[in-house]
Amino acid sequence: MNEVKNSCSNNCIIDITGVSKIYKLGKVQVVALRGVDLKIREGEFVAIMGPSGSGKSTLMNIIGCLDIPDNGIYLLENTDVSELNDNQLAEIRNKKIGFVFQTFNLLSRSNAIENIELPLIYSKKTAGKNRKAKITDSLDAVRLKGWEKHRPSELSGGQRQRVAIARALVNDPAIILADEPTGNLDSVTGEEIMAIFQELNNQGKTILIVTHELDIARHTSRIIYLRDGLIFKEEIIKEPVSARQMLKTMPKLEDKIKGG
Amino acid sequence: MIRFAESVKIAFQSLASNKLRAFLTMLGIIIGVGAVVAMMSIGYGAQESVLSSVQDIGSNMIIVTPGNQDEEQQGFERMLGEDKDRDALTIDDVKVIEKEAEFLNGAAPAILNASIVSYLNKNTRASVYASDEEAESIYNFKVQDGRFYNASDVKNTSNVALVGQTVINKIFGKIEPIGKIIKIDGKNFTIIGTIEPKGTDQFGNDQDNSVTIPITTAQQKLYGIDYVNMIIAQSTTEDNIDEASEEVERILRKAHNLRPGQSNDFTVRNQTQLVDVLGTITNIFTITISSIAGIALLVGGIGIMNIMLVSVTERTREIGIRKAVGAKNKDILLQFLTESVVLSITGGVMGIAFAVIVSIILNRFTILTTSITLFPIILALSFSTVVGLFFGIYPAMRAARLNPIEALRYE
Ligand SMILES: Nc1ncnc2c1ncn2[C@@H]1O[C@H](COP(=O)(O)OP(=O)(O)OP(=O)(O)O)[C@@H](O)[C@H]1O
Ligand SMILES: [Mg+2]
Repeated sequence: MNEVKNSCSNNCIIDITGVSKIYKLGKVQVVALRGVDLKIREGEFVAIMGPSGSGKSTLMNIIGCLDIPDNGIYLLENTDVSELNDNQLAEIRNKKIGFVFQTFNLLSRSNAIENIELPLIYSKKTAGKNRKAKITDSLDAVRLKGWEKHRPSELSGGQRQRVAIARALVNDPAIILADEPTGNLDSVTGEEIMAIFQELNNQGKTILIVTHELDIARHTSRIIYLRDGLIFKEEIIKEPVSARQMLKTMPKLEDKIKGG
Repeated sequence: MIRFAESVKIAFQSLASNKLRAFLTMLGIIIGVGAVVAMMSIGYGAQESVLSSVQDIGSNMIIVTPGNQDEEQQGFERMLGEDKDRDALTIDDVKVIEKEAEFLNGAAPAILNASIVSYLNKNTRASVYASDEEAESIYNFKVQDGRFYNASDVKNTSNVALVGQTVINKIFGKIEPIGKIIKIDGKNFTIIGTIEPKGTDQFGNDQDNSVTIPITTAQQKLYGIDYVNMIIAQSTTEDNIDEASEEVERILRKAHNLRPGQSNDFTVRNQTQLVDVLGTITNIFTITISSIAGIALLVGGIGIMNIMLVSVTERTREIGIRKAVGAKNKDILLQFLTESVVLSITGGVMGIAFAVIVSIILNRFTILTTSITLFPIILALSFSTVVGLFFGIYPAMRAARLNPIEALRYE
């Protein structure tokens, strides 16, 4: 464990210094990240933007401990991730991080409940009753009551993404990472998803999302712009858009989507 | 670490989602295990029925046959048709044995043959069993009607015969056989009795398709020989059968004027030895079955490995998802290993069920007796588990080693 040594204050949950990532495709080398410095405080809601291929997903994967950087230091809650082995990384993905993907990544053969339960079956301490309670809490948080037994193929895109968020929440992680969570959704549904993220953020979760839409990014408190594997701009949003408010002004498209 | 019950549940879910494929994959194991368990039940059944018929005859039987069956060369010469000791045993030997033996109740000679038996214009092929009056007690002939041939019939080479039920059915039909004259190989015989039905023996031979006549008549009037095919003796108790066997050997060696060091021109066997021979046959049977089983399980195992490799590729994304939410390498390993073991054990169980059904059908509708025992079932289950583990480990390791990002990107 390395001590924090720079400007990041004591409540800094993610501390990335000089992180780079190079993909080798045969003889060709693709530099996805070239020395990224990024600090995220606990409880922050941050959006990462940038053109396609700028390295957003690569950065998210490294933050989510799905991938390891080639160079640089990544301290997660003051723990140097580069020193961890596969099992310890899996443990972190299980306990500290909830990942939400653009393409939902649900198990198609399992129903909503089983998908949400997934992180719990890989974690030691959650037995029986506790397990049920956690699943119910997650379901409530994403307002999916009544859809428990439905499989992904029987759910709308927005519902699928809510199942995915519930899954990310179920083990009560400190950080939620979402790579283009609204990318496959219409604007109203996207707004609903953002409302859920804002609620979670209000409850104290640190949230990072990648998005291409400025409208979505404006729901967060800080936007980080990535280009060619480097952060070139940061923008603080003084007054983030409230998704709740937005939904009130938006037409009730949702009813039509659900066919109700 | 994922709980074991959890991975069993996942395994069944995943197999249930592709039932036909799972079944086809298991087919190799089903056929292998089914064939082995069924064959073993037939083997055990045969063994049991042979043992029980051995017990029927009485476990104090000693059988003396001509020629030295313990000498390899003898068998070779016999193959070449030089059956040099064919005439080694005679009725005189029986008399000597009866006179000198202490451990015997009695002895009887026997000549076995098959002949055409006819009555008026009807004829059939039946086995002819020639012996002396002691055969009634020693060989367990039960007379149903009439009488057995007696000592004077044997002495006088009387043309008398007893017939079995199948022969009666074939050539007499409803006619009362006793007192009628039949022809055996063209010679006339008067029927003096009928033999109680015995049914089929363990090899499926009809024991009632037989006639029995005095041995002297057979020797002199039918075959023109002075030797016998075998001598059957009975020890006084089951316990002294080995002493009795040695005694018979000693008496015969003396009667045949064999010098010390000279090998026997006859072979003495008793029931315990027959049971041993039976054991040898069973062992050969078992080895044969095991080799077939081995090949079937190998083929089945390769099938499982193949389908598991396909499954790992198909479910690359699922593996990525599981890893992304915190599955460790060993969790994925366990999941896929469990799946292949579930596949092979389910195949094993279905194979056993199949074998049990086959065995019951055989038992009921054919002359085969079958016997399902625990041993082959346990053996089959352990082998299918081992097959599942052995052929599942490589695909499971491939799955476990997948990089989560690449797995998630997989289309
Ligand atoms: N597994 C990989 N192998 C090779 N190259 C890769 C791999 N993953 C990403 N790259 C390359 O790294 C660079 C950054 O990719 P990344 O997915 O991080 O971009 P992104 O900002 O998420 O783009 P998008 O907005 O389209 O999702 C790209 O040039 C991409 O081709
Ligand atoms: Mg991306």
